[in-house]
Amino acid sequence: MLWVDKHRPKALDKVTVHEQVAQNLKKLVAEQDCPHLLFYGPPGSGKKTLIMALIKQMFGAGAEKVKMENKTWKIDTGTRTFDLELVMLSSSHHVEMNPSDAGFQDRYVVQEVIKEMAKSRPIDAKGKRAFKVLILNEVDKLSREAQHSLRRTMEKYSASCRLILCCNSSSKVTEAVRSRCLNVRVNAPTEDQIVQVLEFIGKKENLQLPFGFAARIAAQSNRNLRRAILFFETCKVQQYPFTSNQVPPPLDWEKYVSEIATDILSEQSPKRLYSVRQKFYELLVNCIPPESILKKLLSELMKKLDSDLKHEICHWAAHYEHKMRLGSKAIFHLEAFVAKFMSIYKEFLVATFG
Amino acid sequence: MGKRPPLVVLSSSDDDDGGGRCTGSRAPSARRTRTPAPPPPAAKQAPSSSRKKLRRGSSGGRGRRGASDPAPSGSLKAEFDMLSEDFTECLNDLGTSGSMHQTKELWVDKYRPHSLAELAVHKKKVEDVKKWLEEKLMAPKGTHGGWSLVLTGQAGVGKSATVKAIAAEIGADMCEWTTPVPTLWAEHMHASSGLQYVSKLEEFENFVEKIRKFSLLFPTTIGSQRKLIIALIDDIPVTSGNASLARLGKCLTSLIQSTQIPTVISLTHYHKSEANDTAMWNSEELESLLQRAGAHKIVFNPVTISSIKKILFRICKQESSSTTEELVHEIATSCGGDIRHAIMSLQYYCLNPRRLNSALATSATLLESTGFGALAQGQDCYSRSSSMPSPCGRDETLTLFHALGKFLHNKRESHGDVNIDLDSFPLKEKLRRNPLKMDVPEMILSQAHGKVRTVADFLHENALDFIDDDAVDDAWVVMSYLSEADCLLAGSPITSARWTVNESNESGSMSQLIAASVAARGVLFGNAHASLSRWHTIRSPKVWQIERTFRSTKDQILNERFDCSSTPGSRNFSEIVNDFRPFERWICPRSYMPRNVSVHHDVDGNNSEEDVIEDC
Repeated sequence: MLWVDKHRPKALDKVTVHEQVAQNLKKLVAEQDCPHLLFYGPPGSGKKTLIMALIKQMFGAGAEKVKMENKTWKIDTGTRTFDLELVMLSSSHHVEMNPSDAGFQDRYVVQEVIKEMAKSRPIDAKGKRAFKVLILNEVDKLSREAQHSLRRTMEKYSASCRLILCCNSSSKVTEAVRSRCLNVRVNAPTEDQIVQVLEFIGKKENLQLPFGFAARIAAQSNRNLRRAILFFETCKVQQYPFTSNQVPPPLDWEKYVSEIATDILSEQSPKRLYSVRQKFYELLVNCIPPESILKKLLSELMKKLDSDLKHEICHWAAHYEHKMRLGSKAIFHLEAFVAKFMSIYKEFLVATFG
Repeated sequence: MGKRPPLVVLSSSDDDDGGGRCTGSRAPSARRTRTPAPPPPAAKQAPSSSRKKLRRGSSGGRGRRGASDPAPSGSLKAEFDMLSEDFTECLNDLGTSGSMHQTKELWVDKYRPHSLAELAVHKKKVEDVKKWLEEKLMAPKGTHGGWSLVLTGQAGVGKSATVKAIAAEIGADMCEWTTPVPTLWAEHMHASSGLQYVSKLEEFENFVEKIRKFSLLFPTTIGSQRKLIIALIDDIPVTSGNASLARLGKCLTSLIQSTQIPTVISLTHYHKSEANDTAMWNSEELESLLQRAGAHKIVFNPVTISSIKKILFRICKQESSSTTEELVHEIATSCGGDIRHAIMSLQYYCLNPRRLNSALATSATLLESTGFGALAQGQDCYSRSSSMPSPCGRDETLTLFHALGKFLHNKRESHGDVNIDLDSFPLKEKLRRNPLKMDVPEMILSQAHGKVRTVADFLHENALDFIDDDAVDDAWVVMSYLSEADCLLAGSPITSARWTVNESNESGSMSQLIAASVAARGVLFGNAHASLSRWHTIRSPKVWQIERTFRSTKDQILNERFDCSSTPGSRNFSEIVNDFRPFERWICPRSYMPRNVSVHHDVDGNNSEEDVIEDC
């Protein structure tokens, strides 16, 4: 088991990074009135950890016994019927799923699943907590239609089930859904907090950490706790005892993106643009999300950019990120961004150095 | 109507019959050579026209009744009635094959040229063909080779008509290969009747064999007073696949080399109006094959506008229909040198004078709208007229690759003759482009019949090759337009997400059209400093391949997601690919499968496969 999972805090009390949030959640459960929840925050900040701990707080240890099933849903759209297969994790109290895996058919999933759950409403012997919890991951990846149908089903079945939504950016969740949920912002942990967590894990694993080692990992993790722990474990696998100047290797796709950035900065021509396109293809074929590619590329370019240009480049990156979401083929937009960058950068070079 | 001359009777029909008997007697199983149209008695024409008048009268009456309808939408309804009646009337009028309208004929058949003077083909060509035929007919028998003539040219330029007219003139018999009734293999299987299935190729081979034998036997039977016979092969069977093409080639070669009677093979050229159908046999290939075998070749050019007009006026006069000169001109210019088409159009427009006016009205507005004519200047009249959809024109088709080539090469007028300042507002210098040396992009797109997505992908894949090496700005402009087009293609802004299928068709088709236009015009506009034209292969879009691989990889990852872990919660897809997968390789190398995780794994590029358009 990876350390990320092994040392994940299992209860709200044991949460160290977002203590305040955890306490609030605990109070919420204690009051017996749990609204729909929307967790949002950057990746690796501990949203999932908080949710799992919350479920345990609500239902006790029973919620930890999850089984995985590959369920087939029969969807009847009126004009045609088809089967939709989706993996879901469920216990007797909750169901967790990734509706966006269904692609453009996600809206059917949301409706059907919730309807189904509402039908098989658990009747508790004590007559309380007669609702199930549905955890939906990556809500921001849902299509607009799916989010709209989510909104309707949320209202209709609010008596029988509670939704816990989880996403990176709440801006991609429709206003209607957001306003029906209690929004919980989960910040990225600070580097100090990451260092604390790493030292905690080190203690548990009986490791000797040289001075400054945890801080180095924290700095490289870009305030992503998951990544920090994974880096930590990687270092352990690579070399133990740790040396004082040991650095974890960079992620290969990130390395590849920085190579692309170097390519772009060294030459600006349609030919180079074409070779950059081939490199993008290699990233895309390995399922690296285009948004991540764009983000990483931008940050790599920013490092080497004159501050006069930064504003403009950021503007165009945002522009094409938006286009990417509107369009269907990411490569068109990634490439357009690179072309725009080349155009601006070349003009800048000519103006500066003649 | 009384002026109608009695020469409607097919003059060559008797001769034809003779020719038919000729072959028929020798081969009892032979197909009829050519069914001569029964000579329409002139007396019967009158009732037909009166019937026509009657029908028109009644339709008018019905129209009036509709107009006087007290319903509020009366006038609208009336208009609709008129339209629908108009349509059925047209159908009736054109559908001459039915027994009811036996006496009426298509004008194309009715005004078939019977003498050389009536031919619309250029005099010199006719002379050539005639000379060749006479030479051959007079030539002594027994010489091998050089007995065949290949006529090539567009559809409807009068290839067969010329041969027939000449044959009639010099009194030779025609011996034709008439296409058998086509039976599809599936149809045959379905009917499973006693009919024997014979492939067209086989029948053709039989026919060719017969001609050869016939020509060998012929001189001995007739002796000194020999009859003049011309064999005309009008319709070469369609073959698909190399094997059958080779068979056809062999058959034709042996025919050409061994025939003893003048044989005319007419080949329709497809390269002008390139059929998008790849199964279509390659006419040029066949042509060169025939020439190699020793056939003489005469190329027929499209009929000139003036001669088409002459013919049309003659027909109008004979039909005593009141066609205006404008309409005739319109038809003649828009038919693209296809006289058969021109006559058909004329007949259609003469059926009803009302339609005639409307046709003119449309064409007038169209002519007006060529105010964008800066785009279309300096082109010959045929292609100019095809740039505006004329009400009686032919639709031209282009291959997708042809269209893409036009967009990518971006041919424009040179700087010398820039006189586009008739535009009302001046553009900035950097936004100005010279006029295009092609039709309007939308027209080309519609002719190419490509799916918009396909076009956009192809443009995206190939556009960069055509941009000058220093012009990064242009590259951006092109890319930004393609990016816009992609957004439009993904449908309305409401539908987000990646593999969106456009389900809202009504608004979809519009945005599709716009997207195509944006993509094509964007590429044209953006590529302001086109690189020197040199040979580029058009690559098939790699995006498709990438997407396929992406999907399979994604499925695989999703399947693997739950295998390894005993984690309490599931993981998001993006988390897996961003974080877990790279790390797992380092952390637990044993469980790591080396098959597809490497980022640097090479996407095998099989470029320039040009025939993959359909697997989009």
